[in-house]
Amino acid sequence: MKVELFYSPGCPECAAAQERLRAAAEEAVRDIEWREVSAVEQLDYAVQLGVLTLPSIVIDGELVFTSMPSPEQLRDALLERCVGRS
Amino acid sequence: MNLEVNVLTIGKLASLTRVSNDTLRYYEHEGLLEPAGKSPAGYRLYDDASARRIRFIKHAQQCGFTLAQIRELLVLRSRDATCCGDVRKRAIEKKLQIESKINAMKAMSKALDQLIAECADEKQPVRECAIIAALERANMGARVQRR
Repeated sequence: MKVELFYSPGCPECAAAQERLRAAAEEAVRDIEWREVSAVEQLDYAVQLGVLTLPSIVIDGELVFTSMPSPEQLRDALLERCVGRS
Repeated sequence: MNLEVNVLTIGKLASLTRVSNDTLRYYEHEGLLEPAGKSPAGYRLYDDASARRIRFIKHAQQCGFTLAQIRELLVLRSRDATCCGDVRKRAIEKKLQIESKINAMKAMSKALDQLIAECADEKQPVRECAIIAALERANMGARVQRR
C-alpha cells in the first residue's frame, strides 16, 4: 500500500506530525510504501491527484485526507482499505 | 484617532487606491477594512494604514485569492506568532488551485475543439447540427448515470 503525504516545505504543522503519522502507518500495515512529497517540487503531480490544500494524504492514488489527520484516523483509513482488499 | 497621521475621507481613500466608495464599504462589510475613526458628523475617516491595506487586498486579488482568503492573510499578517511558512503554504495552495482550474479549462477547450471539428457543414439546418446533437447525447448520458 502506497501512502503519499503532500506537504508545504517549511510548514511547522507538517514537520511535527509527519513522523507520528509514518509510525502509525507502518504499525498498521506491513507492506507500506511511505512517501513525503513536496507540493512545490511536484506541483503537477499534486494537481493530477486532486491535491488542493496542504497537507493532504493520498492512499494508493486516491485523495483521502485534505488536512492533517490524527494518527488514529490514518490508521483506520489504512485498515479499512486492507479489509476492502481481502 | 491620532491626528498626526494623514486623515482621509472615504472619497479620498477611494481615489488614492483607485477603488470605488462602494467597494470600500463592501470591504468594511466583509471585515477586511475598518475606518480608523469617524468625523464629528459621523463620516468614516481612514489613514495611511488603510491605504496600505487596500493595496494589499488588491495585490492579493490579482494573485487569485478570494476575499475570504485575503481576510485570513490579513489575520496572519497581524499575528506575531505567524511565520513565513504559514503564508507560503497558502500561496502554494492557491497555486495548486489555479493549476487545477487551468487543467479543467484545457479539458473544456479540448472538448470544444472536438465539437467544432464535428460540425463540418455550417450551412446545415440547426436540427442536424452536430454540436447540438453531441450536447444532447451528453445530457442523456448524464441522465442515465444519475439513475
